[in-house]
Amino acid sequence: MRRTVVIVGLVLTACSQATVVDADPPPPTSFEEVEAILVESTVPVVVNVWASWCIPCRSEAPLLSRAADRYDGEVRMIGLNVSDTPEGSAAFIGEFFPDAPIEHLADSDGFIPVELGASRGVPLTFFYHAGGELSFLQHGVIDERTLALQIDELVNR
Amino acid sequence: MEFTLLAAAAFAVAALYGMLYWEARHGNADRCAGNLFETALTAGVFGIFVGRIVAMMLDGVNPIAHPGDIILVRAGVSTVGATLGAAAVFAWLARRELIPMADGISAAALAGLAGWHAGCLPRDACLGTSSDLPWATAQEASEITRHPVGLYAALLFAVAAIAIALWKAYRWPGFGIPASAATLAAAVIRLLVEPMQPSLDGGPVWFYAIGVVIGLGGLVWFIRARRLGQRSS
Repeated sequence: MRRTVVIVGLVLTACSQATVVDADPPPPTSFEEVEAILVESTVPVVVNVWASWCIPCRSEAPLLSRAADRYDGEVRMIGLNVSDTPEGSAAFIGEFFPDAPIEHLADSDGFIPVELGASRGVPLTFFYHAGGELSFLQHGVIDERTLALQIDELVNR
Repeated sequence: MEFTLLAAAAFAVAALYGMLYWEARHGNADRCAGNLFETALTAGVFGIFVGRIVAMMLDGVNPIAHPGDIILVRAGVSTVGATLGAAAVFAWLARRELIPMADGISAAALAGLAGWHAGCLPRDACLGTSSDLPWATAQEASEITRHPVGLYAALLFAVAAIAIALWKAYRWPGFGIPASAATLAAAVIRLLVEPMQPSLDGGPVWFYAIGVVIGLGGLVWFIRARRLGQRSS
């Protein structure tokens, strides 16, 4: 029995090692900058609010990375890192978004999501039509069906 | 939001138990209401656990390094992992009389799946791809009408569950046939509704196709075995 547990553990470890790439911490931003991005964007924008210390953010990060690859060019994906350290955020980007077409920005105080109309909790995912009109706001972890449906709402409007 | 998933799970368990309760009074396999319920529930919980771990591994998240992530079921459960995990546990727990137990649970398992899909109502997650059909509905503040695909699946699973339950109750089809028919029905229903589900990569259609082959193969095998048995007797 003990041998089985060890073998299963080794297989799990071997099969699920993520590739960690060196990444830069996201540049700091402000509410005005984010608002300008939303208003001036000619394509829909998805803003995911995350932090490296947030366990649910880690669990949904691979899903967002896949969505960014799938809708590259049709939807602009922004990762808003809040209340985090440069080291923590850089490591998170290196682990989960090494090649994903997602622009990451940092809000060290964590007030931008509140100014956008949400709470201070993470994760959050905002879905905006081109021009900045809010289509949907997901509080908490997002699942694949909700993510795909809400992006479909944006791209097929 | 996690509580809505619990509501969907409660729908599934209630439908599973309700069907077993009805079948216990209408000639299902013996031990049906108690033993089958516990076996199915154990297999279901273990299946979700396996499905979650497989989903984490496929996403490159190490379940040993990040065990806390396992409970975040909403972040993703692999349908393939969950189905195989649940089937393996069921097969282990029912190993002494696998086929009779599988026949016994066949209708109730489909009813449980119907309940799970009906759980899209409290989760507010019934909508799928866009559609112009008269019953297509739009989400709040949207003009895009969509298939209520969660309800399609719930309805189809409920019809299949009731059909198999009545078949078992009033004209026993024979050893292994209800289980094979339920496998076939589940795979066909998932194949039908999957193209209407909102998804990033289309879902595991190949897995449902394998399910159709296994279900059909089982049906042919057990019907043939039954006819051979009738001839020899």
